[in-house]
Amino acid sequence: MNGQTFNATAAIIRDTFREAFARKIFWGFFGCCTALLLFLMFIMRVDVVAGALATVSIFGNSLPSTNVQNLVQQTQSVIAGVLYYAGMALAVFASAGLVSAVFEPGRIELLLSKPVSRTHLLLGRFAGNVLVVSANILYLVIGSWIIFGVKTGVWGAGFLLSSLCTIFIFSVLLAVIVLIGVLLDSSAVAIMVTFALMIITPILAQKATLERLLSSEWSRDVLRVLYYVLPKIWEVRGIVQNLILNKPVESWMPVWSTAIFGAVVLAIGIWRFQRRSY
Amino acid sequence: MDEYAIETEGLTKVFRSRWSKRELKAVDDISIRVPRGTTFGLLGPNGAGKTTFVKMLLSCTHPTSGRAKVFGRDSQEPEARRPIGYLPENHRFPTYMTGWGMLEFYGALSGMDSASRRRRIPELLNLVGLDERAHHLRLGKYSKGMLQRVGLAQALIHSPRLLVLDEPSDGVDPVGRKHIRDVLNGLEREGVTIFLNSHLLAEVELFCREVVIIQKGKMALSGTVASLTSGSGYKVEALGVPESLETELRSRARSFRSVEGTLELLFASREEANWAVDRLRASHCELESLARTRSTLEDVFMKTVDGPISGVTAQ
Ligand SMILES: Nc1ncnc2c1ncn2[C@@H]1O[C@H](COP(=O)(O)OP(=O)(O)OP(=O)(O)O)[C@@H](O)[C@H]1O
Ligand SMILES: [Mg+2]
Repeated sequence: MNGQTFNATAAIIRDTFREAFARKIFWGFFGCCTALLLFLMFIMRVDVVAGALATVSIFGNSLPSTNVQNLVQQTQSVIAGVLYYAGMALAVFASAGLVSAVFEPGRIELLLSKPVSRTHLLLGRFAGNVLVVSANILYLVIGSWIIFGVKTGVWGAGFLLSSLCTIFIFSVLLAVIVLIGVLLDSSAVAIMVTFALMIITPILAQKATLERLLSSEWSRDVLRVLYYVLPKIWEVRGIVQNLILNKPVESWMPVWSTAIFGAVVLAIGIWRFQRRSY
Repeated sequence: MDEYAIETEGLTKVFRSRWSKRELKAVDDISIRVPRGTTFGLLGPNGAGKTTFVKMLLSCTHPTSGRAKVFGRDSQEPEARRPIGYLPENHRFPTYMTGWGMLEFYGALSGMDSASRRRRIPELLNLVGLDERAHHLRLGKYSKGMLQRVGLAQALIHSPRLLVLDEPSDGVDPVGRKHIRDVLNGLEREGVTIFLNSHLLAEVELFCREVVIIQKGKMALSGTVASLTSGSGYKVEALGVPESLETELRSRARSFRSVEGTLELLFASREEANWAVDRLRASHCELESLARTRSTLEDVFMKTVDGPISGVTAQ
């Protein structure tokens, strides 16, 4: 990447941030995250008395606990799980508009007329969008990690790692949003498809059960193909929770197969973008 | 160094609707050459394919067949677009940008470093006539004419060698148009090639050296403005002109015609016409008529676009 390409790509990323600010996407996110952090700070009262013995009170109910670490980790795991789904849904809503904005007639022509390849245009926008969302997710996760740490003295790295997984899954979903934006110029359809993925994949995750329910062999094949092809949002969430609870991760297959899915979808998006006439 | 700023070969774009089989040849086999440093006008009625043609030059739209080259480079390469400044038709610049921010962004995309952007931006905003207030106003609050001006500034930010303008004076008041024309004239003097799409024939006539008229995607007429409008001038008709005088007059006339003893001469300027009258009267020839003829670009355009039969005749 030479200097000019670097400048141009950096400009696209900066512009994505500026647009996120202007559309109040960034601040909306930031506001939600801050509210969550404040909620954590005031609702959860943790009193650590003499090391291991503690009374943790959540929502006013005192829970006698012999293992603070365990409890904190479980709480973190719940929060990471909520953040994983709720945060992702918010991020998808916010990003769909951010992506399709560049394909608007009257705007795309000027972008395409610049000496920047279409691949760079699309990847720059993609990276900018991932960074906007990452900034917020990191803020929320690091913020709650510090709150937990200060209050309980438990500083597990697993919780921090979970933010990376959330960002990772978000990038995969964003690839889907980008592809649909390129194909159909529609942020509404992009949101629908992404949500459908978020709903379908946890169901597909129950592959073993479903296989028993299905009667014909071909429908079981379809199920297996769908399972292996589609991103494994649910299983990755399980991996996140295992990381937080310091449990071993059985298989990384969900992560790499999801990564392949994202890469292929993004590659198709770039290919279609290059072929399209505006 | 390639001698042509733009060179197209059989450039064609066929739009097919997704569901039905209907086809539309928006641009049909157009081959043109625009020499460096020329001011070139692309004319044609609405829907003739002007915008589509320009978008193919910028590789915004992919041609169905044919090729386009910009300064000798295939227009498909991103590098081919580096020397081009483009002002699109019906642009919708991001409303959250300020005038300054917009130039900053598109300047960076054009490969300028931040120091040269900082230097060029105020220069250009002032050049196109946007005042201090406009520099930091969001584009969402710009008037139509202001948007057109900032659009022009954006096209000029990286000092392009080729300027492609699609209806640049759309929505600009007459004073603004004059201003834009002055800016463009200045660029022309610096040797910038200017490619203009416009409906404003009088403006094109004033500004462009060469024009192409397209209709329904096909090239209908091309030539220099001077040659296309050569019909304009002064027509002198005289009877009984002796041969020696006729030869002398014909040498100064732009065109001539002899019909049944009447000599028709067309002169480019009033001085020449008066000189001819003096010579004719000195030789005691009879003047049949003396008239100012006009063949503006508009006449040429109307004739071309309406077809030869219903053509509007020059008055
Ligand atoms: N993306 C597209 N899909 C289908 N048809 C198109 C598309 N873009 C343009 N056309 C058609 O191509 C023809 C030429 O359009 P174009 O915009 O090039 O005309 P134009 O000469 O610029 O007209 P105007 O003077 O009104 O700007 C029109 O009939 C238009 O409907
Ligand atoms: Mg047009």
